Amino acid sequence: MRLRILVVEDEMTIALLIEDMLSELGHEVVDLAMRLPQAVELAQRADFDLAILDVNLDGRKSFPVADILLERGIPFAFATGYGAAGIEPAYTGRPVLTKPFLMDDLETAIATLAASPAIS
Amino acid sequence: MVEPQAQHDKGMVFPFGGGETGKLIRSFDWSETPLGPISGWPQSLKTVTNMLLLCPIPIVLLWGEDGIMIYNDAYSVFAGRRHPQLLGSKVREGWDEIADFNDNVMKVGLAGGTLAYENQELTLIRHGKPEPAWMNLDYSPVVDESGKPAGVIAIVVETTRSVVAQRKLEQSEGRFRALTNATSDVVYRMSADWSEMQPLDGRGLLADMERPSAAWQDFYMLPEDKPALQAAIDEALRTRSVFQHEHRVRQADGSIGWTLSRAVPIVDEAGDIVEWFGAASDVTERRRNEEHLRRVVHELNHRVKNNLAMTQAIAAQTFRNVDDLKEAQARFGSRMVALGQANDLLTGERWVGASLIGAIGQAIRPHYPQPERSLVTGDDVQLTPKTALALTLAMHELAMNALKYGAWSNASGTVTVTSATYSGSAGDRRLRVEWRESGGPQVQPPTRRGFGSVLIERGLAREMGGQVKMEFLPDGLVCTIDAPEHVEAGS
Repeated sequence: MRLRILVVEDEMTIALLIEDMLSELGHEVVDLAMRLPQAVELAQRADFDLAILDVNLDGRKSFPVADILLERGIPFAFATGYGAAGIEPAYTGRPVLTKPFLMDDLETAIATLAASPAIS
Repeated sequence: MVEPQAQHDKGMVFPFGGGETGKLIRSFDWSETPLGPISGWPQSLKTVTNMLLLCPIPIVLLWGEDGIMIYNDAYSVFAGRRHPQLLGSKVREGWDEIADFNDNVMKVGLAGGTLAYENQELTLIRHGKPEPAWMNLDYSPVVDESGKPAGVIAIVVETTRSVVAQRKLEQSEGRFRALTNATSDVVYRMSADWSEMQPLDGRGLLADMERPSAAWQDFYMLPEDKPALQAAIDEALRTRSVFQHEHRVRQADGSIGWTLSRAVPIVDEAGDIVEWFGAASDVTERRRNEEHLRRVVHELNHRVKNNLAMTQAIAAQTFRNVDDLKEAQARFGSRMVALGQANDLLTGERWVGASLIGAIGQAIRPHYPQPERSLVTGDDVQLTPKTALALTLAMHELAMNALKYGAWSNASGTVTVTSATYSGSAGDRRLRVEWRESGGPQVQPPTRRGFGSVLIERGLAREMGGQVKMEFLPDGLVCTIDAPEHVEAGS
């Protein structure tokens, strides 16, 4: 299934990599947000199936974005160098991709998200 | 008392009994002394002599103006090696080291007065060398048949041992007081079950506790920390051993600090805990440093992983669709060096940012053939660490491209990098950076977009929240970056 995905990632090289991985997996990157204000805005109004969410956006935590996605019922996975330990307790249970990760890891995370009720 | 007198009257020996000293007195040649032979002693002298000899406490009789010494076994022990020479000697000569003291005793006693001293210190030579001794001394006159004082009787109870012990205790207490004053620790005392704290001097660190308090936990502790404290107390009570706990405290100034608290149980003779005695040291600074270090390590771990992910991304881009693996490896290596230098730039600025001109200069310096073939000029602005990193990588790509195909690939081409800040149409502050090559070989637009182009056009533009244009003009490549001066505001 071709999914429309929002990528939130503040590091341009890593953003390029995730975009390439996603298109290789047959998905569409609807947009890329590299800073928190932009990410919040896109999370509120953009039309997409799921999101890959970096935790640290140039020193600011992306949890407000996660809250909007929860509110909208859009599934998401975290992608972070902090690993699961860097995720606030309120979001435990969400898939976490620890950087660096492989395309297979990304595919598995997306499959998990796609199986959640919000999409099917 | 009647018995020996009766015996003497019947021609029996005098004095009666008296142990070793009694024996010495009986065999002593008293005719050499002012007292004369025993047979001629007045009854009063005999009575007192026999009385003291039968007494278990140290007593000495000083008879006559000279104070001739007659004493008992207990006194002989007190006298040490001065016995038996002391027996029958004149007191001022027998104890020549304290002649003045005894002179006064004789004068007062023979005048009918009494003297009493408690823990009187005198330096005596009893074991070969002068040593301080303390004693309780009671002197009273002894009256003879004429009704006048003829001698002085002294009860001598040595107290040296208890005085020394007392002094040691006082010194020990003094040292202890000095220690509690010298240490910056807060010293405390707790009841046996830790329910009540004794008055406490907070030493400026904690607020003072004026009177015994059962509410000390509420006073010093944060509510959420009380269960852990109580657990440490319970454990110490259970094991009857050292209490140790590191916890937060309300400090005297109202702020929250950390203390390391240790206490030991004080037990009575029956082995029951009477109270707990403890000290709490201020470890706020250490905790703060530990917390800071923990955060730094956490952040460092994050950055390392981020750098690995960037390395992974660069590798993926570099080795995508390659014809020449050797060249791709060289490019990859060069990009790793650029990434490493970008990190240097950022750490040099403590990750708070770097200057635009500095970042560009550092990125292209390793590549230009001669310094005069590169010119970096214009307005300098402070970049965030992330923007500096992205710009460094982009400039590195442009420089590598110039060296391979562009202005630096021949003998004379030059690169000029110009930066300028200006006011945008919306009144916002904007930044324009232009990379312009000239004097190089005739430019052919590339047939394929490489990582450099992708990074610059897709990556840098979005990183800086602006537009990036690459124009392959006949004179040379011109790359223009136009973005908000403060990237955060623009994206």
